[in-house]
Amino acid sequence: MTLFSGAFRERLRNSWVEMRENPARSGLQALGVILGVASVLGGFSISDSQRRRADQLYVRLGGLDKLNVQPNPAVRDGRPTALQTANLGLRSQDAIDGTALDVKKVAGASVVKFARTRVRSAYGDQERQVWGIGGEYLATEGYEITQGRGFSSQDVASGAPVAILGTEAAKVFFPFGDAIGQTMRVGDVPVTVVGMLDERVFKFRKSGGNIFRWRNRIIAVPSTLVTRQFEGDAYQRLDRVTFKLHDVDAISAFSKTLSNLLKANHRQQEDFRLDDVAARVRKRQQERDAYDVIFALSGVLSILGGGIVNVNIQMASLKERVREVGVKMAIGAPGREIFKEFLTEALLVSGMGSAVGMLAGVAFSKIITSAIGIPLWMDAKSFLFAFVLATVFGFLFALYPAIKASRLSPMEALRYE
Amino acid sequence: MEPIIETKSLTKTFGSNGVAVRALRGIDLTVERGEFLALIGPSGSGKSTLMAILGCLDSPTSGSYAFDGERVDGLSGAELARIRNQKIGFVFQLYNLLPKASVLRNVELPMLYAGVPRKERRRRATELLERVGIPEKAKQLPATLSGGQRQRVAIARALANRPVMLLADEPTGALDSKTGHEVLELFTDLHRQGNTILIVTHDLAIASLAGRQVEIHDGRIAEPGEKVA
Repeated sequence: MTLFSGAFRERLRNSWVEMRENPARSGLQALGVILGVASVLGGFSISDSQRRRADQLYVRLGGLDKLNVQPNPAVRDGRPTALQTANLGLRSQDAIDGTALDVKKVAGASVVKFARTRVRSAYGDQERQVWGIGGEYLATEGYEITQGRGFSSQDVASGAPVAILGTEAAKVFFPFGDAIGQTMRVGDVPVTVVGMLDERVFKFRKSGGNIFRWRNRIIAVPSTLVTRQFEGDAYQRLDRVTFKLHDVDAISAFSKTLSNLLKANHRQQEDFRLDDVAARVRKRQQERDAYDVIFALSGVLSILGGGIVNVNIQMASLKERVREVGVKMAIGAPGREIFKEFLTEALLVSGMGSAVGMLAGVAFSKIITSAIGIPLWMDAKSFLFAFVLATVFGFLFALYPAIKASRLSPMEALRYE
Repeated sequence: MEPIIETKSLTKTFGSNGVAVRALRGIDLTVERGEFLALIGPSGSGKSTLMAILGCLDSPTSGSYAFDGERVDGLSGAELARIRNQKIGFVFQLYNLLPKASVLRNVELPMLYAGVPRKERRRRATELLERVGIPEKAKQLPATLSGGQRQRVAIARALANRPVMLLADEPTGALDSKTGHEVLELFTDLHRQGNTILIVTHDLAIASLAGRQVEIHDGRIAEPGEKVA
């Protein structure tokens, strides 16, 4: 209540008059705050925008709650031991065992086995990579079927000669459309196209290329078809197994038990490698956090520098205003009142400065993000941080001149020339 | 009824570390209510120091000072500020108006510090400007006014909180003789209306308008008849 009492309003009004009467001085005083707030806000929002764009990318890739297992050559150099030779590598049994490990945590598993082979249709004939997929592959990778159907468990179990095409593959092999039901040759095997996938597009920057372009090249067949007809063996060795979990936080615990299980399955050989997507993202997040600290620090430094200039200006202007302080004291303003007047003035300047700084910061981040070509994303927390920073420093730097002014002796102040 | 000012062996010493200047050396002064008193003396006599202490702008080194029945020697800065605000109206030689505030706001200022509500401030300030004869200048800045008009604003400001005493320090020092005379007439009018007025001057012609003259010399009150040439 006392904050908005008549006296406060009067002080605010006087401060406003004082500010308007001395635009150059107030401008210089506010400059440090403006630059500091703008640099904090700009730095944070550019960093936030990048992070948000990266998060969007991971969502489009099928989420962060994934754990990839890939084969890793156990033999790095020298001759392999008998154990290593006898080892079987990553195989589809691993996917089954891993899923069984914790049925509650694992939402699904997918496998992929690649093969390079000749692919022919009535319109195209190319050496292509073929995806042998199983489990929830399409879902975990973020694909959607737009026409036809996915693979049934029957298809995967029997290694049925069926295929699902990405948009690029469909365009190459069936340029006149309507690929569903048509036959194409994968190696020597005639397969029937049963499904079409949506086009995957993600441009990290507006002007940049589609980083999902290669995903549209997919020619998917059941993994069993690949392991039986093209590459692989009776053990159904795979190129990758992906576990999708219900909960991102459960990943690290699950990855430990999974690692133990696989090691046991693989005769204690570490011929596989676990890749925790969330951990990778966390690591990048930590790197960005370091940048945030740098942005915050540069903001603090510019506000600090501006604040020191500010104190100087206030001390110089106090010299001009000693007489005014003397008059006010003579007609009955106590030191406390003078202190409040000076503080209000400084806070008004830093308040206006932080408002201007916020506008400058928004404009600055808008320019930078549109130059990079990513959507601008600003967090309310950045505004809050910038505002608190400006207010706290504005207050601290106003204290000294305000105390100095309030302690003037009325008689000496009146006689000051 | 007790006198408005009563001092006993008031002294003021400036400086320290051996180079002390004894500006006042024992002042015993009594001013009754409704008096028009002139404090005279050459520069360096100590009259400005006395004025500062009587006006509660400064505290004495020793001695006692009762103002309006209240001991004020030894009061804190905030308490002295309250007394200046409520009970004393100052008029200075160089007007000492706030240059960036309008005439009206200058007159309102003491009431602002006294916590008078906005409407009441506005009403009383307007009334006071009428009383000193310049109601039409309310919205202007002091710089646009002549010296005499500025001093009228200062007098209106001094009267704002209905003080028990007006303290004027060379109020005509910066004015030409004609406007100076007008301002002095305003003071005599105010005195006739029952105000206690203490005027500090070195001009004996002005001092002669007052009901009583007190001369300060070397930090002491000069005995009557002991005129300094």
